[in-house]
Amino acid sequence: MSAMPSGTRVLVVEDDPHLAAGVMENLRAEGYEVNTAGDGEQALAWLREQGCALIVLDVMLPGIDGFGVCRTLREQGNNTPVLFLTARGDPVDRVRGLESGGDDYLAKPFHLQEFLLRVRAILRRWDWYRSASATAATAVLRFGGNEVDFRAFRARAWNGEGQELTEKEAMILKVLAEHAGEIVSREDLLERVWGYDVFPSTRTVDNFILRLRKRFEKDPARPRHFLTVWGVGYRFLSEGEP
Amino acid sequence: MKATRVFQLTVLVLVVVSAVQVGWWLLDRHAQTHEKVRAARTAYAEQISAAQALLDAGTSPQRVQQLLPQIIVADGHPTLAPQVDEALRTEERHRDNQYAWEGSFFLLALGACIAVIARALRAEARVLEEQENFLALVSHQFKTPLASLQLSLETMALRTLSAEQSRTLIDRMLADLARMEAMVTQILESARLERGRVEFKSEPLELGAAVARVVTHLEERARQERIRISCDIEPGLYVASDPLALDVVVRNILENALAAVTPLGGGSIALSARALNAEVELSVRDSGVGFRPADGARLFERFTRLHPRGGGGHYGTGLGLFIVHRLMHLGQGRVSAHSEGVGQGAKFVLTWPAAQGQRS
Repeated sequence: MSAMPSGTRVLVVEDDPHLAAGVMENLRAEGYEVNTAGDGEQALAWLREQGCALIVLDVMLPGIDGFGVCRTLREQGNNTPVLFLTARGDPVDRVRGLESGGDDYLAKPFHLQEFLLRVRAILRRWDWYRSASATAATAVLRFGGNEVDFRAFRARAWNGEGQELTEKEAMILKVLAEHAGEIVSREDLLERVWGYDVFPSTRTVDNFILRLRKRFEKDPARPRHFLTVWGVGYRFLSEGEP
Repeated sequence: MKATRVFQLTVLVLVVVSAVQVGWWLLDRHAQTHEKVRAARTAYAEQISAAQALLDAGTSPQRVQQLLPQIIVADGHPTLAPQVDEALRTEERHRDNQYAWEGSFFLLALGACIAVIARALRAEARVLEEQENFLALVSHQFKTPLASLQLSLETMALRTLSAEQSRTLIDRMLADLARMEAMVTQILESARLERGRVEFKSEPLELGAAVARVVTHLEERARQERIRISCDIEPGLYVASDPLALDVVVRNILENALAAVTPLGGGSIALSARALNAEVELSVRDSGVGFRPADGARLFERFTRLHPRGGGGHYGTGLGLFIVHRLMHLGQGRVSAHSEGVGQGAKFVLTWPAAQGQRS
């Protein structure tokens, strides 16, 4: 885990020049390398050529809006984390942002320190995920006939079906696999995968576990790998429950 | 607002109830008339039976007719006198006709009332919705400069800055404040436009003088941004417009042109005017960022900002051209925007009716 963000590249997509400049200067002062784009098309063009560790994405952009940019990226298989900035802070928009594949959501006007904290938290989570999938041994997880490729966010299920994993599904799987055989609480999962109060409820974790079961369990109703520990959380068994 | 709505709804309910009552009353009157006629006929039938009894008892037909004047006896059979029968029929027809006319009149009047009130209620609901949309858009527009202000201030609070960096942030904050102030002015202007269509005056105004006033006002800013404004308007061109509206229109069009040229680091704005039949046309051509031809119509919609990066230090509110469009429309004028494409500059053409008898 790298504590210093030095050299970490962030793309700021914001159509307001003042806000873009302010965000850029502050991120630079924290040691990040920053590029900016004024609209969605420019951002997508830049991302086709280059990579970055995080995209700070305004929602109300001229042309394609931020949600559209994020969806397009995910469809292209680009899993770069996205922090949405928006003037609309209502819950409906929040949910839309996260559904389109965003990692976090901040309403304008925002507090500088909160913004910087969130940027750091997202990068830390991804840092952990990447370093935890860095070696040949950790990049691939095999259990019960399933094979998960953490780097490509792809999997082949026991029945031969190809699966595209979302980042959150992959992260949850990663946390569970790292603690195979142990009990992992819902709160731990929330903290490790989302970090912040993006989702207010631990029910969200349950929904993701259901999705993982549907993808990888032979009988999702009677799971052998993703076990519920009542009142606490979950336990992952790579061998499968006897 | 709410009290008016309650009142309108109450009146609507009253009118609907009245309409139902009128309908019921009509049916009731109709039934009653028929009932009366039927009763009369029954009474006459009894008289006919009585006449028959008298005849059977040997009373002479003449005597029977004397006793029962509505009955006539022909060939030894008593029947109702034709004029009485006719009178009954006429009475029935007359009453039915009366109810039909009076009833339809009342129902029509009440129906009209219902339509008028329902229409008013619908119009009000639409206005309310528009206002809500407007408020949502306005608050959204304010959040960006607010966010920028907050970010600048928090940066100053969080970090140790050089004098130069502080200066940059202060300039940025001042520009944000100026932007918010411009937005307030324009929002008020556009709100006034939405409300008061009545105060619009139409008087002969010399276009050259009006343009010159606005240009003088903006010249300093243009010089700073290395933008040359040239004016080719012959004196004596008079347009029929509202003096305030003319000023606002020309100012907004010129500010839009400045904002379009500024990002290119300099350029030119050329104004020219000519008389065309009964109209006067002002062209404002700039060497600025231009726009996609397809976006020409969208430019005049509220909160459209095609070039958010346009205009160093001055930001579009998305209201300027909307105001121009509304004002031109109110004054029987027109405005259109033309561009060959992004980076090709743009031309705005304003057309007013020429002032009567003032054309040179």
